[in-house]
Amino acid sequence: MSRIKRWTAALLALLFLFVMAPAAAFAEGDDYILIYAQVPQDWQAPHIWAWADDGTNAFAAWPGEAMEADADNPGWYRCWVPATATNIIINASEGTVQTKDQKIEAKNAWFTIAGPEDVTVSYDQQTEGELPEYVATFKIHAQVPESWQDVGLWAWLDPDGTNAFEAWPGKAMAAGEDGWYTAAAPVWVNRIIVNGNGGEVQTEDLSIDPAEIWVTVAEDGSAEFTYNDPNAPVAEDITVRVKAPADWTGPCLWAWSAPDGTNAFTSWPGEPLEDTGDGWLALTVPGWVNSLIVNGNEGSVQTGDLSVEPGKDVWVVVTDAENAAVSYEEPADAAPAPDSASAPAAEPQAPAEEPGGMAVGVIVAIAAVVILAAGGVFLAMKKKKQ
Amino acid sequence: MKRLFAALLSLCLLAALLTACGGPAVDPDGPATITIWHDKEDEVAAVLQEELDQLAPDIQVKLERKDGLTDSLKMVGNDPKAAPDMYFFAHDKVGVFAEMGILAPITDFVDEKTLAGYLPMTIKAATYKGEVYQLPLYFETLLYMYNRLYMSDEEVPATTEELYAYMEQTTQGGHYGFVEQHSTAYYAAGWLHAFGGYILDSEGNPGLDDPNTIRALEYHKKFVSLMPTEGEYATVNTLFREGKAHSTIGGPWLVPTAREAGIDLGIAPMPVVDETGSPIAPYSGVQGVHVLKVAAERKHDAIAKVLEVLTGDSVGTAIAAASGCAPARETCYQDPAVAEDEMVMAMYETAQNAVPMPNVPEMDVMWTVTENLLVEVNMQGADLQTSANAAQQQALDLIKQMQ
Repeated sequence: MSRIKRWTAALLALLFLFVMAPAAAFAEGDDYILIYAQVPQDWQAPHIWAWADDGTNAFAAWPGEAMEADADNPGWYRCWVPATATNIIINASEGTVQTKDQKIEAKNAWFTIAGPEDVTVSYDQQTEGELPEYVATFKIHAQVPESWQDVGLWAWLDPDGTNAFEAWPGKAMAAGEDGWYTAAAPVWVNRIIVNGNGGEVQTEDLSIDPAEIWVTVAEDGSAEFTYNDPNAPVAEDITVRVKAPADWTGPCLWAWSAPDGTNAFTSWPGEPLEDTGDGWLALTVPGWVNSLIVNGNEGSVQTGDLSVEPGKDVWVVVTDAENAAVSYEEPADAAPAPDSASAPAAEPQAPAEEPGGMAVGVIVAIAAVVILAAGGVFLAMKKKKQ
Repeated sequence: MKRLFAALLSLCLLAALLTACGGPAVDPDGPATITIWHDKEDEVAAVLQEELDQLAPDIQVKLERKDGLTDSLKMVGNDPKAAPDMYFFAHDKVGVFAEMGILAPITDFVDEKTLAGYLPMTIKAATYKGEVYQLPLYFETLLYMYNRLYMSDEEVPATTEELYAYMEQTTQGGHYGFVEQHSTAYYAAGWLHAFGGYILDSEGNPGLDDPNTIRALEYHKKFVSLMPTEGEYATVNTLFREGKAHSTIGGPWLVPTAREAGIDLGIAPMPVVDETGSPIAPYSGVQGVHVLKVAAERKHDAIAKVLEVLTGDSVGTAIAAASGCAPARETCYQDPAVAEDEMVMAMYETAQNAVPMPNVPEMDVMWTVTENLLVEVNMQGADLQTSANAAQQQALDLIKQMQ
């Protein structure tokens, strides 16, 4: 079961990603524009929230993407947003202060913010120096021992050794309310180190993919990571109730999550369904399950893949291997499933269309008449011969 | 008198039936109409229609999309009033329809010299019991694809052992170095072929217990152990499209959706199996046109002209441009647009080793039997030799029942 629990966490992370995906649905290949902002001194950790007129959000959740301080232009923060975004809000202090909605054009913009109501925008460069080239980034989250302060991220490309940040201990990771520290790194890195206490403590080199990742660091500096959000909400277990054909001995349930393919049970045919005494067979499975197969006779007979909604108790009435009804309330007329061996054979499936069906019918009719007529001739001849 | 009447009636009816079977005579001075059933996407059908419209007004070609095409042909394939004149479909049903006696050899219309200009694999696919029953237009094979965000061009594995080492190194934290539909017969076949194994030979004999098939399945297991247990279509394609898998073996149909998902897609030759020196050799599906016997004589000249148009390079290059299909004619690859298409050229390269899907009727029973074997071996940990022997026997029994 511990294995199942581990997979549960992983799966729910995936589910969470699927849920969040539509909210931030800009395509990866979109062009990006730079948004610069000068904010009041009491605005801490400015963020940007951006969306398109059709409601598509640029970032997964409020308050949006953290703006990075521009070291060459004190007082200015900057952030890339998709060029298809047409509206932004600049906010700070964990979203407690913010501008009104600001319409933007699809080009780099410089916002000067004196207060929530006092915002001016310019599309002429207001900062010194060359503007940086856009580089896609990904987020690295880390959970570190309590003794680690000033958590930092060091990242580089192996084996050529190009570093993402100027000097050790690298980029400061921002602490979140959930206990995780977060920083972004360019997608061209493939090695990271999470460190603390100004670089005095650190993990080993971690070989990673450039995709959002959650790193858990132990007291001794060892680290494990996953690409699936471990903080995603955990769905409660669900109960699957089944009526199986009478001639399916030892009915079992096979359950998994599609499309990631994580199984609830270790091997086929899964876990035996238990007789609850009320006419149903039942089994409890993790709430992330969204696909089922009911099988019997040690897995030699089975339904097709049955898609179910995750997190909901489900009732499955199996008539035979080809037919099973799924519902999320106990069906009122759930009579015991008939013995499939005695069930009437399914009607042969007609072709999608019946081209010339009439012609076939005519030919069959003519053929029948011909056979009868030929038979008549044969009989006539036979009689004559006699 | 009654006996004479009965005899006359019978003769009349027979005559009527024979006339019906012969269909209406084609007016030699009027326009001929050729009906072609197909099940293809609109882009491909539009290319064909445009090419064939050049035969108008003498010959009117009607491309009719038909769902359940093969079922319909089984019903009406020998009915001149209901059957089409030709159909456009994959090669793997050639054996079924040839055995039904509803197909005319394509060599009745196209000379052998013209067919010599086609990729040998495509003509092999179109041939059943020594007769060529299909004019190939294009083909599809599986491709080795990778996500350049994770796997650089230099890291693409040239051999299966390199692939395995890459999988061991990168499969962690919910990401996979390589995923494929490991327990689907169509996908597993490529591994079997690389070892000299096979699902079904060209004579219709199953090879599930062939020693080379068993060697392949045994070798393949270690790769499966580093993939998700559920290796079906949705899982594999979604993992790749969502950036959770570095590489995959998939069909050309995955390419547009992967690119739409923002993946920097690379396509590379199939890895070579170190043990045999042969690359993974997937099945190929050859799409082309077939002539129905009921039309072959009545509309011989019109059909010959239609096929003449379809043997032109412009058809293959236009289909390649419209939907990324790999042309069956060798000379199409000299066209700059085709030669620059990464996906088409990858299929062309793979075609050198690809094995046409068997076109014998016995293949119909092999898919399920093979997949059951793969599930037992890859997902249930069953003894390979025992399962292979049982699957072979089941295949033989089912084939016997067919006969």
